[in-house]
Amino acid sequence: MPADPRERDPGLQPERTALAWQRTVLSVTVGSLVLAATAVRLDRPVLAVAAAGVAVAAMLPIVLRIPDGDLPAHGRLRSWGFLSRVVWLVVALGLLGATTAVTSLVVLG
Amino acid sequence: MTDDHVPPQPDRRRPRSVYEVGTEPDARFSLANERTALAWVRTGLSLVAGGIALTSFATFADLSGVLDVVAAVACLAGASLSIWALVSWARNERALRRDEPLPSPRALPVLVVGVVAFGLGLAAYAVVEALA
Repeated sequence: MPADPRERDPGLQPERTALAWQRTVLSVTVGSLVLAATAVRLDRPVLAVAAAGVAVAAMLPIVLRIPDGDLPAHGRLRSWGFLSRVVWLVVALGLLGATTAVTSLVVLG
Repeated sequence: MTDDHVPPQPDRRRPRSVYEVGTEPDARFSLANERTALAWVRTGLSLVAGGIALTSFATFADLSGVLDVVAAVACLAGASLSIWALVSWARNERALRRDEPLPSPRALPVLVVGVVAFGLGLAAYAVVEALA
């Protein structure tokens, strides 16, 4: 652990990690909105609302929490909570996507 | 150096299976591990997005039901891969804390074989459709 975790890292590790978070969350949001649009086209409002709900859930922490590069002042990283949260959102999106694909198979043949 | 910055309270971070072993590594290594896990999540997400895109195109272009089955499989594979991201994050963080060599990326060969099979399958479908 560096002496002072707030000390500037020349490798910009906290910044790179924050950017990795941003593109992951952005991808989840875009993916769920595309799925919502597809569900609307298939005339399945429940699926559309569920997919839009994934997008909202992905964006909520950005609105509610100040981005600090996830590096608390005491230097102890807390990755697990955020990581498992985004993983379960992707799993939810995967299950919704599979359900939509099966629905499309049934509706369109 | 350490007296000023190590908090007096015990380490209560979850999961315990990771944080109760070894010693705290350089925060930069943990951040790199976190970015690796996020890259795996995005890889899984790309598979999910590919599946969603296929379904989406199928609703526009009235494509065969085979593509919907392929899309469902891609979505489920992507979900499994992002769960693997959590598992591999925990394995790597444990190895970092114990100062051991990092475990080999076991999902990588599975991913490569899966993507190759996916690509070949879609190419075969395109050829069959073109000839039909």
